[in-house]
Amino acid sequence: MAEVTIQQLADAMYDLVKSTHGKKNLKPMDVTKAMIDQFGEDSVDKALCKKALRELIDTGRCIYKYAGGSFVTLPEN
Amino acid sequence: MADERITDIGPPHYEQFLPEVIKKNYGKWDYHEILKPGVMVHVAESGDKLFTVRAASPRLLAITTIRKFCDIADTYCGGHLRWTSRNNVEFLLTDEKKIEPLIKELADYGFPVGGLGAKLSNIVHTQGWVHCHSSASDASGVVKAVMDELFPYFTGEKDLPAKTRIAYACCLNMCGAVHCSDIAILGVHTRAPVINHAELPKMCEIPTLVASCPTGAIRPATVDGKQSVEIVEEQCMYCGNCYTVCPACTINNAKTDGISVWVGGKVSNSRVPPKFSKLAIPYLPNNPPRWPEVVEAVVKIVETYAAHARKNERLGEWIDRIGWPKFFELIDQPFTKYHIDDFKHAGETFMRTAQLRH
Amino acid sequence: MTETKRKTPLIDELEKGPWPSFVKEMKKEAHKPITRDAISQLERSYEEHISHWKHGGLVGVMGYGGGVIGRYSDLAAEFPGVAEFHTFRVNQPSAWFYTSDALRTLCDIWDKHGSGITNMHGSTGDIVFLGGTTEAIEPIFADLTANGWDLGGSGSNMRTPSCCVGPARCEWACYDTLNACYNITQSFQDELHRPFFPYKYKFKFAGCPNDCVASIARSDCSVIGTWKDDIQVNNAKVKDYEKQGLDLNADVCDRCPTRCMSWDGKTLAIDNSNCVKCMHCINMMPKALKPGKERGATILIGSKAPIVGGALLSSVFVPFLEMDPESEYSDLKELTEAIWELWGEHGKSRERVGEFIQRVGLSNFLEEIGLEPVPEMVMHPRTNPYIFFDDEIFEKAE
Repeated sequence: MAEVTIQQLADAMYDLVKSTHGKKNLKPMDVTKAMIDQFGEDSVDKALCKKALRELIDTGRCIYKYAGGSFVTLPEN
Repeated sequence: MADERITDIGPPHYEQFLPEVIKKNYGKWDYHEILKPGVMVHVAESGDKLFTVRAASPRLLAITTIRKFCDIADTYCGGHLRWTSRNNVEFLLTDEKKIEPLIKELADYGFPVGGLGAKLSNIVHTQGWVHCHSSASDASGVVKAVMDELFPYFTGEKDLPAKTRIAYACCLNMCGAVHCSDIAILGVHTRAPVINHAELPKMCEIPTLVASCPTGAIRPATVDGKQSVEIVEEQCMYCGNCYTVCPACTINNAKTDGISVWVGGKVSNSRVPPKFSKLAIPYLPNNPPRWPEVVEAVVKIVETYAAHARKNERLGEWIDRIGWPKFFELIDQPFTKYHIDDFKHAGETFMRTAQLRH
Repeated sequence: MTETKRKTPLIDELEKGPWPSFVKEMKKEAHKPITRDAISQLERSYEEHISHWKHGGLVGVMGYGGGVIGRYSDLAAEFPGVAEFHTFRVNQPSAWFYTSDALRTLCDIWDKHGSGITNMHGSTGDIVFLGGTTEAIEPIFADLTANGWDLGGSGSNMRTPSCCVGPARCEWACYDTLNACYNITQSFQDELHRPFFPYKYKFKFAGCPNDCVASIARSDCSVIGTWKDDIQVNNAKVKDYEKQGLDLNADVCDRCPTRCMSWDGKTLAIDNSNCVKCMHCINMMPKALKPGKERGATILIGSKAPIVGGALLSSVFVPFLEMDPESEYSDLKELTEAIWELWGEHGKSRERVGEFIQRVGLSNFLEEIGLEPVPEMVMHPRTNPYIFFDDEIFEKAE
């Protein structure tokens, strides 16, 4: 079983958010479910995804936005 | 990074803000008594006494005022004060002799005391035009206009049968959760949103927008060659959920937005279980700066309740006893088609008995 | 940068009258250009009968998904001071107790960075700072945290919990609401600051069934203090109330929802097995009656305002739960995490947990989170015969 690092997961999340930008609003849970689908539930779980999401947000690569609910998106510019 | 970033510390621990008399008697209070309007005493098992003076507040407070409250608290209360869940400010004293000077200083500064027990408390309310994007009306202004008229019920000059809770929300989002109040004043939108087709594709995600409508009134559509949505106006109930999700669906309308009045709700469990407020008046005009139609209607309800209800009977309990036909007659308002529910589970509100008052 | 002071005849009208005036409050801070423009824009709303604020946007402090709510003027050219006029929610201390020193610190921070206008407090319970620029967000946060304060919640996360005055000043508190509120807030800091849910999730802690924080109407998780054993009665003091004019039969016994008490002029007899803890008799005679000694809380789930699927009151999940501070509220936390797991995974965007429960069915929900159905959860059993039967019913029948 391949070990998935938080950094790899954050990168994959970033790619997903970037690829759907302007087309679909992704909730944090949507991102999480997509990662579990992508890497398999033996390799990643919700807790790991939460850590990766935090990494993604804390470094400023993605931000939260509010549009009736909270979504993960790219920063402006 | 020069400094370590501080996050996730949460609120300060409450204990550091408690007066000594509370720390000493925490969880060991014996009873309380209302001494006069706006003043109560809590007596501990130890015999210690804590006096509370409750003053009105418009919820929106300048830091100038908060600093003044701090000075007052320093003078009379050893620097201790708190706020209530209905936005009243409370000063906490141990020296009974300081109560009257405190009340005088508050009154001189424009903050009357009252609202305890079987009285009208402060009106909890929302932001309105002061700070909200989806408000159908102002909030602070309507509250001020209503409370100016109902003032004697707060100060205790006029009596009420039981405690009375009025709440105000400036749209159906109900940041003030007014739906379980003796009297709820609620700003309403009354027309379907207007779509800005030029902006919509840039600002909003169409599937999310379509899914946001609880009645399925929003459909994807191509307008002038651009992806957008159309609204089936007959299906729209003006909840504004689409506007929350998509700023290009403007629900605010200066001409048609108005104010509704609801009655008979409560949250406490005393005697009868908590109840929702029910529609009394579907629409009154939005008429700043003093909303005379709203004020008149609310005052009429309060005065009628004060005159007719029995002791300890909340407004909703009174209506349950006398029946809705009598209530509408007494408050001099018509019962209309708008009063009959037509949303989910509407049938639960139909009268299915011959037990009627004739 | 509005040079001349605009006239505001409409809102000036609201400086008159005996009730404290929010217009006066705003004008106390009118020396700040940002506040002056907010006042002028409000006058415009009063003239035109419409709000001039625009929607949220992408504002917040680094790392958090809540606590700052974006607000922009749609008249920014005319009122540049309020082009950005964001809200800051600051997590209040339990039961809204303050010292003057603590409040002055908050005032100084807000004086330095923003409009000087506050709400004490917002509807969920936070201290609300109304009106600051995007540029001010990080400096405000730095000053707040340096002084021991943190932001509250907004967006699809756990919202700032709040509680009643509880044992700090109320003889009816059946558990320590201040401690429970603080403990839950601190334990779920991640959930408070980083949205991970379909929509908001609120906690409110009420010490007794009087529910002074309206928890049953306003929180996804309503924790309402209650007791199991007998109401404590001091008959001599009951008699005192009668002597002072209280009609024990009309005002107390006849108003009891289950008629479980009677008064013969000497003894208040209570059938405690039939008491539903409504608080009426205790409210009427605080010196004579008190809640029982075996205290805890009822946990109810799911209340909300109308948007989207209609307003709901919370409904009973756990009829009686001990709320010993020593336990760190582990049972409540376990229940909460089970609810978040299920609703978090399957809830739709903007679907509150109360609506989710209605969609999937309470029985299914209970089964998934591992709670046994008990009759306290319903007003009465179902009246329709459309039952979804599982195979296990045949096994049990044999």
